[in-house]
Amino acid sequence: MLLAATLGLLTAMLLALARAVLGPTLYDRILAVNSFGTKTVLFIAVAGFLAGRPDFLDIALVYALINFIGTVAVLKLSHYGEFGASATGAHGDDL
Amino acid sequence: MTGWMLIDIALFAILVATGIAIAQIRQLFAVAMLSGIFSLTSACIFVMQDAVDVAFTEAAVGAGMTTVLFLGALALTRTREKETPRTRSLPALLVAAATGAALVYASQDLPAFGIADSPVQTHPVTERYLVTSAEEIGVPNVVTSVLASYRGYDTFGEVVVIFTAAIAVLMLLGHGATRGVEEVPPPMRDRQRVLRVVAKLLIPYILLFGLYVQFHGDYGPGGGFQAGVIFAAGVILYALVFGLDAARSGVPMRVLRPLAATGVVVYGGVGVATLMLGGSFLDYNRLAPDDPAAGQHLGILLVELGVGITVTAAMIMLFYSFAGRGVRRS
Repeated sequence: MLLAATLGLLTAMLLALARAVLGPTLYDRILAVNSFGTKTVLFIAVAGFLAGRPDFLDIALVYALINFIGTVAVLKLSHYGEFGASATGAHGDDL
Repeated sequence: MTGWMLIDIALFAILVATGIAIAQIRQLFAVAMLSGIFSLTSACIFVMQDAVDVAFTEAAVGAGMTTVLFLGALALTRTREKETPRTRSLPALLVAAATGAALVYASQDLPAFGIADSPVQTHPVTERYLVTSAEEIGVPNVVTSVLASYRGYDTFGEVVVIFTAAIAVLMLLGHGATRGVEEVPPPMRDRQRVLRVVAKLLIPYILLFGLYVQFHGDYGPGGGFQAGVIFAAGVILYALVFGLDAARSGVPMRVLRPLAATGVVVYGGVGVATLMLGGSFLDYNRLAPDDPAAGQHLGILLVELGVGITVTAAMIMLFYSFAGRGVRRS
């Protein structure tokens, strides 16, 4: 059962990867990377139970907590063109 | 065990596909994101190899830091990779192919996969680390006892390297304290309400988890390096959502700079203290002569604390100096 779940997660990861590579817009890629991160959290959790090592959950927790920081950074940069909180920054939609 | 094989093969396939895509794509935004996927996949592979501490580092650094720093660098330069002229890519291909061929040739000399009498298995140090360390050091996580005690010199070197790297980046980019305070207008605040609420809810837990990783490193995966990055990630999230200036007033540069040095001093200080007590450098047994295991515990705790402090301060300073440069787009 758990093995099937793992393989299903891997398939979902492949699909997310395809979307991240093909694009076409920046927001497709952001969404793809974010959902890839979520799949990774699930994958590590499931693999931990599959291997009988519940302490893998620590790693899954790290991802669950800080995975979206990269996404926030991308969105902020593409919106304002810089990291400092200036709302007057250039619109970075050159992609 | 075919199921495990299947999982490994699938993960490596994803890794290779991501690598090829990174080499092909010219839009550097997309490349930064694909490198995030690369890091997530390699963390999965490390988990499958049972290298939990390495996976932990990859998780904290890959998910929290590298993407943000890549993007910070992108904000300072252009976002499209320059085409390399064909005349230059041919020699590069030759060098890469030659190196690859040499590596494949060298791999013939490696011991067979999973063989029982490979040098890793037979070397006496393996026995020492995996069996004797339970009595000598008494820390359940062998990785921590190797990293902080048996190989304490090397780890000290790593901390100094991180400290030096932070200083070098600060020298190159400046410490990012040049810009004035800029208020975000109210409509922006409304649009980011979800982000603000979620960040406010999550940041305390990120910091709490950082403390857990810091002080639980003796027993489970984790330690000072990972905890430092997680702590820094919490502050960076705050800076991203509430603005750089808000973060700077909460965690100012004038605190971070001494902190980065303090961690190195704590680590080195433990070594000097053991010297003063009559042992050799970083010989934690001297810290509690009656009970060597307690001395080891204390030494490892202090040393990991030093690592954590330096890594936290260095990572936040790196982010500040990248983010504080402002727009330099071409």
